[in-house]
Amino acid sequence: MHLRRPLTPLLTVCALAGCQTALPDVTPSPPVLRTLTQEQYAHAVRDLVADDVYVPSDLDVSLRLDGLEALGTAAVAVSPSGVERYERAAYLIAEQAMDDDHRDAVMPCTPADAQDAGCATLFVETFGRRAWRRPLTDAEVGALVEVAMGAAGVLGDFHDGLEYAIAGLLQSPDFLMRPELGEPDAENGGRRYTNWEMASRLSFFLWNTIPDDALLDAAEAGELVTTEGIDAQVERMINDPRAHDGLRAWVSDLLQLHRLDDLQKDPAVFLQFTDGFKEAAGEETLAFFDDLVFTRDTDLRDMMTSRHTFVDRTLARLYGVKAPSRDGFGPVELDPEGPRAGLLGQASTLAIWAHPTTSSATLRGKFIRGTLLCDPLPPPPAGVNTSIPEASPDAPTLRDRVKVHLENPSCAGCHTKMDPLGLGLEQFDGVGAFRTLEADATIDPAGDVDGVPFTDGADLGVKIREHEGFVPCLTSQLASYAMGRHPADGDEAAMTWLTDAFAAHDHRLLPLWMEMAVNPMFRQVGEVE
Amino acid sequence: MTTLDRRTLLRGLLGGAAVAIALPPLECMVNPNGTAWADGSIFPKRFGLWTWANGTLPDRWTPIGAGEGDAWQLSDQLAPLAIHKPKLSVISGLEVKAFNSIPHYSGFGPFLTGLEQIGEEGNNTFGGPTIDQIIASRIGTDTAYPSIEAGAWYEDAISHNGPYSPNPPERDVHRLFERLFGPTFREPGTDAVIDPKLALRQSVLDVVKGQVDSLNAKLGATDRARLDQHLSGIRNLEQRLARLAEGPPDYAACRRADTPPTEEELADPFAKSRAIADILALAMACDMTRVVSVVFMPPISNYLFPGATEGHHQLTHNEPGDQPTVHANTVKAMEEMSYFLSALDAIPEGDATLLDHAIVLGTSDVSLGKTHAIDEYPCVLAGLADGALRGNVHYRSPAENASKAPLTILRALGIDAPSFGVDDFEATTTVGALEV
Repeated sequence: MHLRRPLTPLLTVCALAGCQTALPDVTPSPPVLRTLTQEQYAHAVRDLVADDVYVPSDLDVSLRLDGLEALGTAAVAVSPSGVERYERAAYLIAEQAMDDDHRDAVMPCTPADAQDAGCATLFVETFGRRAWRRPLTDAEVGALVEVAMGAAGVLGDFHDGLEYAIAGLLQSPDFLMRPELGEPDAENGGRRYTNWEMASRLSFFLWNTIPDDALLDAAEAGELVTTEGIDAQVERMINDPRAHDGLRAWVSDLLQLHRLDDLQKDPAVFLQFTDGFKEAAGEETLAFFDDLVFTRDTDLRDMMTSRHTFVDRTLARLYGVKAPSRDGFGPVELDPEGPRAGLLGQASTLAIWAHPTTSSATLRGKFIRGTLLCDPLPPPPAGVNTSIPEASPDAPTLRDRVKVHLENPSCAGCHTKMDPLGLGLEQFDGVGAFRTLEADATIDPAGDVDGVPFTDGADLGVKIREHEGFVPCLTSQLASYAMGRHPADGDEAAMTWLTDAFAAHDHRLLPLWMEMAVNPMFRQVGEVE
Repeated sequence: MTTLDRRTLLRGLLGGAAVAIALPPLECMVNPNGTAWADGSIFPKRFGLWTWANGTLPDRWTPIGAGEGDAWQLSDQLAPLAIHKPKLSVISGLEVKAFNSIPHYSGFGPFLTGLEQIGEEGNNTFGGPTIDQIIASRIGTDTAYPSIEAGAWYEDAISHNGPYSPNPPERDVHRLFERLFGPTFREPGTDAVIDPKLALRQSVLDVVKGQVDSLNAKLGATDRARLDQHLSGIRNLEQRLARLAEGPPDYAACRRADTPPTEEELADPFAKSRAIADILALAMACDMTRVVSVVFMPPISNYLFPGATEGHHQLTHNEPGDQPTVHANTVKAMEEMSYFLSALDAIPEGDATLLDHAIVLGTSDVSLGKTHAIDEYPCVLAGLADGALRGNVHYRSPAENASKAPLTILRALGIDAPSFGVDDFEATTTVGALEV
């Protein structure tokens, strides 16, 4: 599916609105060196060879910093067992690339014989340019061709030999990592990312994979160091199906949907935690965002309030709505007056931020504070008994029991920022099923967010949507994801500019992507430290 | 001694098929009687790190009495280790001398690394290499794998090579089996298989190392350290390729591990941890590695134990009274550690067992989970390190620096270490009561 939609860059919007139009100044930060995530690796292989190629899973550890894998990739090192797994994967992939099903698609030439170094050179140059996202030097090509020819000699077959060059390309840091070190920028006397580096930055940001040939050609033509050139590519890229992968990757990282994989719930307590729950819960959230961003191209803040979501039979049962189709997912409209709306009403959020046998006001409140309002809270002090009382006739509901958090001064400082928010979702149990009673007592979901009252979970979403911290937080989360680092002090003007641009575009994500892509903090880089 | 030039030999092979060739055995692989190790007498020392989550209940953890032999008895929580008591010591009362600001990590990090914990809550990293890697860098350099990490449940790593450099525990038992005992494993007594592809793979790694080097030259110090780590992983792999060309191991107790149970049977962490123990014991019997670590459960694990009403971590905070379920969970963890020790003890080596030649450190992320305490730090040392440890000792420490335990381990393994840890964590003396 290709969507064509006109994008109006901020410069035009601002001409109409009369706001500041020039790009902001930044003090560039040093470069970060990111590793590919498992998913980026798999997507890259798909793009390099074919989408039916088998790629092993769990290639190396995934490290999260401050909740984001995108930040962890800039700090983590390839582990010894990762080296081993990457090697095995490289040969499995190389073998598939050279098999009868895929060889024709990846080979730019037909070898005259097993020792056809000319054809090997052409292959290494073309395949290598895509895998390493830059042209290879003559020395690099030479070394890989030598390996391929040596292997072809021993194995007596050109293509069998070429597998070793592919394996070398796929094991090199030039493929597994993202070296983006910048170059002098004559225009401002500082440094900027090179054309090739910008191609990678754009493709991993928007597509979660390596650049395609068109993007590399634009880099080669010198177009990716100009605002116009970037605009043109971003417009093309967001109309490409891979943009959906890019959105899914951001949403998964931001909301830590990987936690669904290891989610453990007591099936005796939660009868609705059936086979397929975890997959369905993740898919709902991803489909919900895809619809919000691509199909409806609407205000991203509606993620907190939209009643238009997607369910399969498992989630339809959980939500008490009619399943839209016998198999798979379909759209549903939730009750406009009901308590379930937006991200906070979704099974993924409600189940991840809960315990194996119960809900958790604290975990849910902490998620809202940390992830949606960017107001992370410190861990509890040591030596403090963090227990809450057991349920009793005097204190039947969680609200009654977490009172100790809010009355004890050593707890209250932080817990007053978390628990009242989480208590707003108490009408949803540990897997997200609606309930009105806990231990036969009525659950009171009302509360306030920093002084603004809400009546229930759905209204909590409304109040988060309007919270002054919400939009700057989303903008900052996106910038961290795109750059592999938190916005720094030197990015302050750029962040303000970006947040303003987001508002000027009615808080739609696709224009925000475009404004991020042309933003100086995404294009300029400091010296290596 | 004649040098066997394998590259020369390989060049003569045509067609690339792996062929079995009766190679002249390498002298370094042969021992006089075929039952002992290379030098005929000394078995290598091994190290295992076995960790569980959410600590202990110190009142029910600390052994009764102190001293050696009958002078002390195992506590309620340590009871599952009874069959190993003659070969096992407990140090109680140790204290991690840290500012306890990051629950479950402020104590665990310094205990395993001797360095202050870094990062924020929820960022799974340590200040430097963990003790298993410190040991692997000294006693693990000659084996195919410097170390092997496995985990029975969550993916979080305990073993680290340095800051932000975790060694992911293998959680897929079948993959662990394939890696160690799959097609590349050679049964003792079979012929060496010369696979010309090994040399080709080495030629690829030469190119990769060149790429790492040229990138490294452009980076700052922090990223260079990451690339150096990558390079060291590549060298490990090269060493494995060299080992594969060498022919089968010749150790009496070495054999291919049994095929693991089905995925269905491995669905719970108890079955998984036992399957891991069986595989790792034979990996050490075959001297594929001398350092292993098992993450039964990582810090803050909220695993719902069978019969429990809440997740483990949640229970440590919420269960009232004397916390019978929290107690039961720790006992279950000790049952699994006991199985691991039994697997090592079942490997005969000369007139002793592999456990006699090893040290297994059993520990956790806190002592009392309820308050995230890091005094009364849990510390079990099983195995006799080939006679360096006495075994059957309970040493009751007057809240000494917990780093004394890692230092005791290093020295017992024959590693010449003047100290363990820095600043507040530095220990320069060992727990003498455990030593022979």
